[in-house]
Amino acid sequence: MIVCVAVVGHQNNPLYIQSFTEADDALKLHHIVHCSLDVVDERVNNPKKSGLTLNETFLGLLYPTENYKVYGYLTNTKVKFILVTTDLDVRDADVRNFFRRFHAAYVDAVSNPFHVPGKRITSKTFAERVSNIVKSFGLSSAG
Amino acid sequence: MGREVSESCIDSLLTEMVASYCNQFYSNTPELAARRIEAIGYQVGHQLSERYTMDRPRFTDHLEAIKFICKDFWSELFKKQIDNLKTNHRGTFVLQDNKFRWLSRISGDPSVDNGTQDPESKAAQAMSMYLYFPCGIIRGALSNLGIPCAVSADISSLPACEYNWILRPCCFSIKYAF
Repeated sequence: MIVCVAVVGHQNNPLYIQSFTEADDALKLHHIVHCSLDVVDERVNNPKKSGLTLNETFLGLLYPTENYKVYGYLTNTKVKFILVTTDLDVRDADVRNFFRRFHAAYVDAVSNPFHVPGKRITSKTFAERVSNIVKSFGLSSAG
Repeated sequence: MGREVSESCIDSLLTEMVASYCNQFYSNTPELAARRIEAIGYQVGHQLSERYTMDRPRFTDHLEAIKFICKDFWSELFKKQIDNLKTNHRGTFVLQDNKFRWLSRISGDPSVDNGTQDPESKAAQAMSMYLYFPCGIIRGALSNLGIPCAVSADISSLPACEYNWILRPCCFSIKYAF
């Protein structure tokens, strides 16, 4: 199950962060997202050490914690997408697919002429679309 | 899923935008009108670059990003690539389009004849206003890709033999500091 997704701008400013848990652990999840930004920086600045040769947008598993797995994605425009999940066996293809759809939703949201670049995404349509993508992620990995 | 836009609508929109900014909102201050039109282009370029770089690996250096502008970005906008790319390797790039689509339907007004200027220079003067929008698009796209720069357009700097009024060539120079 995906517990948290986040969009982080090119100056490491949060653009959108949403947790999907019943419990009151949003702060803890935000902390995990915050920590993962350092890992993203490290991956991008030392591509050889981390085996990232093709400059792919998908950064793979950033780091596992006790209960969570954190995945990252970095676009050409230096916007980072972070995914925190509790699933133990996640297929890479599923995560890639998730990020591709998430990116498409993000592009549609920022193409809104009323969206101010670099500011938080407040669109309800975007939030709805993201929660749909998150829900369908659970389904595809179960099946 | 690609969406298509009517070419004539874009042409009319650009013409109308330039006309309203130059003749209505900022009729006394053309440099302010130019800045506003450039700012609109900037936002458009910013958003388009987000969309068109979606399925691509990340660019490793500036040249790769400029090449993307010349090839894929230009193809998406104008269905053709930039014809010539020159650089001095010190932060200046010159993009030359030998048949710039947005200028191909512009002509000077023959009814306004003050006798002092030849029609060609008059047309060039009128055209320069229409080039701020594409300049803004290029600047917006590049700054979104992490290259802050200044972009200017020129229709008269080409050598006379290359210059052709029917084809409407256009040069965009991009300058950025390392």
